[in-house]
Amino acid sequence: MARKGLRAVSPAFEAEALQALDSLYRTALRLTRVPADAEDLVQETYLKAFRSAGQFEPGTNLRAWLFTILHNSARNRARDRARDAVAIDSELVDRAAEQGPGGFSAGGPYETPETLLLRETLAPELQAAIDELPDVFRQAVWLRDVEEFSYAEIAEMLSIPIGTVMSRISRGRHLLFERLNHLRPVNA
Amino acid sequence: MPDCKTIDPLVTPYVDGELAETDRRNVDEHVHRCPPCHSRVAAERAVRALIRDHRPALESRSAPPALRARCAGAARSTGARLTAFAKAPAVRRSVFLNLAAWRARAVPFALAASLVVMVGGAFLYQLTDSSARVLAAELTADHMKCFAMNAMLGTHEQPSTVESTMVSGFGWQAHLPQDAARVGLELVGARPCLYGEGKIAHIMYRHQGRPVSVFMLPNAARAQQFVEVLGHEAAIWCVGNRTFVLVAREPRLEVERLASYVQASLH
Repeated sequence: MARKGLRAVSPAFEAEALQALDSLYRTALRLTRVPADAEDLVQETYLKAFRSAGQFEPGTNLRAWLFTILHNSARNRARDRARDAVAIDSELVDRAAEQGPGGFSAGGPYETPETLLLRETLAPELQAAIDELPDVFRQAVWLRDVEEFSYAEIAEMLSIPIGTVMSRISRGRHLLFERLNHLRPVNA
Repeated sequence: MPDCKTIDPLVTPYVDGELAETDRRNVDEHVHRCPPCHSRVAAERAVRALIRDHRPALESRSAPPALRARCAGAARSTGARLTAFAKAPAVRRSVFLNLAAWRARAVPFALAASLVVMVGGAFLYQLTDSSARVLAAELTADHMKCFAMNAMLGTHEQPSTVESTMVSGFGWQAHLPQDAARVGLELVGARPCLYGEGKIAHIMYRHQGRPVSVFMLPNAARAQQFVEVLGHEAAIWCVGNRTFVLVAREPRLEVERLASYVQASLH
């Protein structure tokens, strides 16, 4: 009687999945910026995950799988709202790629005054700077540096090539660097 | 020797320590004789370290408890939901019903829980419009869910405690039956009903070790009736602008007896 994939969720699967709740919620907050929307998104993620638990391959990273569902859901929602934020952001990515290595502050020793100064940044400043990043860069940096996913996992989540993942992380970090240095223009 | 253009896509994996040995050495060499690339690496490395240093603060925000409850609830209803709608004759192993007394009675749970998921959003928000049968099904599902999820069967509350909850939570000056033991009812507790946006009061009793629920729906009028749904009996009655629904998995006569007692002694 049981069709494939229509099995009840095992307690172990449920427990492991729910361990990711806090980080999914925080990531959803970064995506939506609205707590109520973030909650909806996370709940939708779990509903979908439990419903299609049979499609999860045991032995692979459950947390990454959940993040993929979260980002797919977020993309569907954005598409439903017919927002063109994605198009605008892609343009930014292209421009960033063209800019190349020379686009950033040049010269200086390995530890530059700017990098030393950056250490003084407070958590709320950093949080604000992250929140101000364009969506695509914020997602990439967040997933890599906060949630510590691999490039391949992030590529899967965001449905983009690995090369794009790396260039977005790179660009996101540099935008943060510029923004945070701007807050402390000692050497300006 | 690699130039900046070749090095460019390697900078981020270099900073992240993701490069193979050969690439890593190439970037090393280049970076040490190319100031722009040098500072590029320095900047990226500094931001990466900064974020990692501040991770505890960035991760300090936890998911709200209510969200956790809803997500856990999703796990408990989903597998069952699908079988229920496939009209499966047998019961799936209910993953969360550990209450021995409930084991034998878990049969309709799958269907009930599924109805919560399927119709919860659509109907309970317009309580006055839904049919008595849908209402009964929904409350029956909540009845089973609440008892199972909260492991409430083992607890005991004083009527006065629940009465003060009703006042603070629903503005309802309730007088609960004081001699419920006379009909074999023991008060277990109360909570706002999850699927009615917390606007429905759910008072839980135990009757010979089995769960009995009394729901109070404010601002809802209903004809008095009995509905058999999901293997349960639901007695519906109305007092003023409040509708009451008693749900139990007992024979009709027993439910009638309990309902008439509660109706007479609950004000």
